[in-house]
Amino acid sequence: MLNEERVALMTRMASYEAGEGKRNMQIGRFFRSDYVSIQVLKAFISATISFCMVFAIYVYYNLETFMENLYQIDLVAFAKDVLTKYAWFAGSYLVIAYLVCTFKYARARKNLHLYFNNLKKLGQMYRK
Amino acid sequence: MTKLLEIREQIKFFYSKAEWIITPVAKLLAAFISLNVINSRMGYMPRLDNFGIVMIVALMCAFLPTGAILLFCSVFCLLHLYSLSLEVAVLGMVVFLLIYLLYLRFAPGESLVVMGTTILCAWKIPYLVPIVMGLVGGPASAISVGCGVLAYAFLDVVTDNAANISTMADEETIVRLKLVVDALLANKQMLILILVFAITTIVVYVIRRLPVDHAWTIAIIAGVIFNMVLLLVADLFYELVEFSFVRVFLVSLLALVIGMVLEFFRFQLDYGHTERVQFEDDEYYYYVKAVPKMMVPQSSRTIKRINRTSYVPEAEEEEDVRDYRPRSRRGGEYDEAEEYEEFHEEFSRRRSQEIDRELGFGFDTMSSFGEDPDRPPVRRRGGSAEADDPGDFEELF
Repeated sequence: MLNEERVALMTRMASYEAGEGKRNMQIGRFFRSDYVSIQVLKAFISATISFCMVFAIYVYYNLETFMENLYQIDLVAFAKDVLTKYAWFAGSYLVIAYLVCTFKYARARKNLHLYFNNLKKLGQMYRK
Repeated sequence: MTKLLEIREQIKFFYSKAEWIITPVAKLLAAFISLNVINSRMGYMPRLDNFGIVMIVALMCAFLPTGAILLFCSVFCLLHLYSLSLEVAVLGMVVFLLIYLLYLRFAPGESLVVMGTTILCAWKIPYLVPIVMGLVGGPASAISVGCGVLAYAFLDVVTDNAANISTMADEETIVRLKLVVDALLANKQMLILILVFAITTIVVYVIRRLPVDHAWTIAIIAGVIFNMVLLLVADLFYELVEFSFVRVFLVSLLALVIGMVLEFFRFQLDYGHTERVQFEDDEYYYYVKAVPKMMVPQSSRTIKRINRTSYVPEAEEEEDVRDYRPRSRRGGEYDEAEEYEEFHEEFSRRRSQEIDRELGFGFDTMSSFGEDPDRPPVRRRGGSAEADDPGDFEELF
């Protein structure tokens, strides 16, 4: 005999597992600190690559100026300036990434908590 | 209204049944249209502007994740740009990579929004995007819309300067790059559109989440007005290129219609039957406002079992569209005699089924003449041992 309540619960859970649940389960395998650290590290790599690309375009754009004034440019001051800008860019991006990842982790844990509650409920239905 | 709600339920039912084919077809169409728009607007590599290639790529997109559409569109754009100039292609790759690394990595589901905004910008109707995204998306959609406008602005700058770029000598690599970068940085219209769309998206999102009656309708109308006013003010101060108030007005009307359709499918509430309740527990006092959704009774399918222990073939499945509510609640004229007759008929039908079952008539009687090898396994009363065994679930806890 089909148990409609059980079928409805299983359908809802299967739909969750196939969509958002898959991502949430990957997040839920980590402790909060581990997940956020990994994501912030990835964000750091992304920020570094992005900054390098923009800097490369900037250098290529101003290549003639650089070549003409190569010996007049204070390279240490220039490098300091570039690194300061990089630190500002990467720092602000990492703060945003940290906030986004913390929010995502909290939401995933909450959804997984509901999912496991449903799983328990389903187990109890089978035992009846 | 009831008829419309019935149609909505039918559409939902049809979608849930045919979702396996509708989704790939929608992806195929999205990819096909996007690639054709790219080919028609850029078209610097004639080999790509081929129906066969576009169709094959669109077919691949139909069965790949949604992000694949954006990936293939980016590849097509880069190949066209490469045909025009290597430097422009590198610059294009940097723009696309920046969008991916800094934003889409966190929100992969928003790739369609980025691509959709770019395509709608190419069709000169981007004004409906912030309204729609404010309704169906979140505040992060404001960034997606901005990325779409940025991608379009870059491609637009390249297509506008394509004649100059192609006539430059091979040695003038830096000049080509400078031409595109300068044009992109001087593009005030892009910045204004990004700002206006971001503000409109957030305004629509905030209003539709407000706990007020008809929040969606207010959000749609407010978003349309806000969008038009901001664009008019921007045009007044900065004289936007290719800005036509008539077009903005018409597209805003279209956005209004699309918004209403979205509201009809996602947020149709019956405010006439709002209930307000108050209760408390040990820690809180609750003020709850419950607004019922507008629904029509859906026709339900029931399986009539002639013999519970037997295999029930498809032919026995029949649609049950009867109204089971008491006649006094169905509306119309209430006739006690008619209800009694209906009840008596139903009782007789069920009784005859029970008698049949007790006498062993029905499909199960066939099994006594030998098992049919093509028939699925018979599920006996109480279910099989495997199905009811909770052992698999024990492991999960």
